[in-house]
Amino acid sequence: MDSILIAMILALLIPIYEAWQDDNIWQKMLAFASIATKTSIMMLVISVLRDDWSIGVVAVIILSVGEAGLMLLAHLIKQCRLG
Amino acid sequence: MIDNYVYVIVALLPLAALMLVFQVNPYNALVIRAILGAVSALVYAILGAADVALTEALVGTMLAVTLYVVAVRSSLVMRLGILKEFKIEKESYFEELIANLRKVINKYHLRLEIVEYSNSKALEQALMAKEVHATCIKQEQEQVDTQNQNSTTGIDIRQTYHTTIRVRRLFEIMKTELTFPETTLDYVTVSNEEDKH
Repeated sequence: MDSILIAMILALLIPIYEAWQDDNIWQKMLAFASIATKTSIMMLVISVLRDDWSIGVVAVIILSVGEAGLMLLAHLIKQCRLG
Repeated sequence: MIDNYVYVIVALLPLAALMLVFQVNPYNALVIRAILGAVSALVYAILGAADVALTEALVGTMLAVTLYVVAVRSSLVMRLGILKEFKIEKESYFEELIANLRKVINKYHLRLEIVEYSNSKALEQALMAKEVHATCIKQEQEQVDTQNQNSTTGIDIRQTYHTTIRVRRLFEIMKTELTFPETTLDYVTVSNEEDKH
């Protein structure tokens, strides 16, 4: 089961590299969306592996609220680039 | 007993923190701060602190970053006051001047906001009341008789702009970096006596 998580960590390194090397703000937002979703899914996998329900509930909350926060942040950045 | 993958995930935290430290653009730094928040929430969750992870995701990633974007957006701005007729005339020189100003202040991660006023008296009062950081007005150099000669020979009238800045640091930046011959720069000190009462 460890090999699945190691593969997920390697997949997480791809958007981290993208956020580091690209200077465009929207590319960075895209990398952030990818990282936020991937970390929440990793939390869910770990909660199933350990049979720990409290981590699973927190992962679901972070997954859903994180998307809402991302949309809010994107709206704020869009307004200040245009205006 | 600690699993092997925990060490690898914890190693992501200083990686994200180093990315944040070496970022100079404030907006990019805030997005990377959000990435750091997501990674640290994962680290807290796998170490068993579910409540800390939830707090980090909600407060650290969502609330703090959103509030900081609002704060940076309203403070890193240069407000330029102009007259309303400028916009209607659609002069090429004016558009060029605005493009030049934007290029200079974009280097300092500032943003240009244009505020319109109906007459020059309101513009002057706005500068004195600290509503705007700078004003831009038009001044014509040619005399009336030369203007008549030009209209007969078909040469267009040369217009220049006069930009008054009340913030010293902005004036220093513009003096060294704005290379646009059609405008003259001027610095004016505004007394802050209304702060005292």
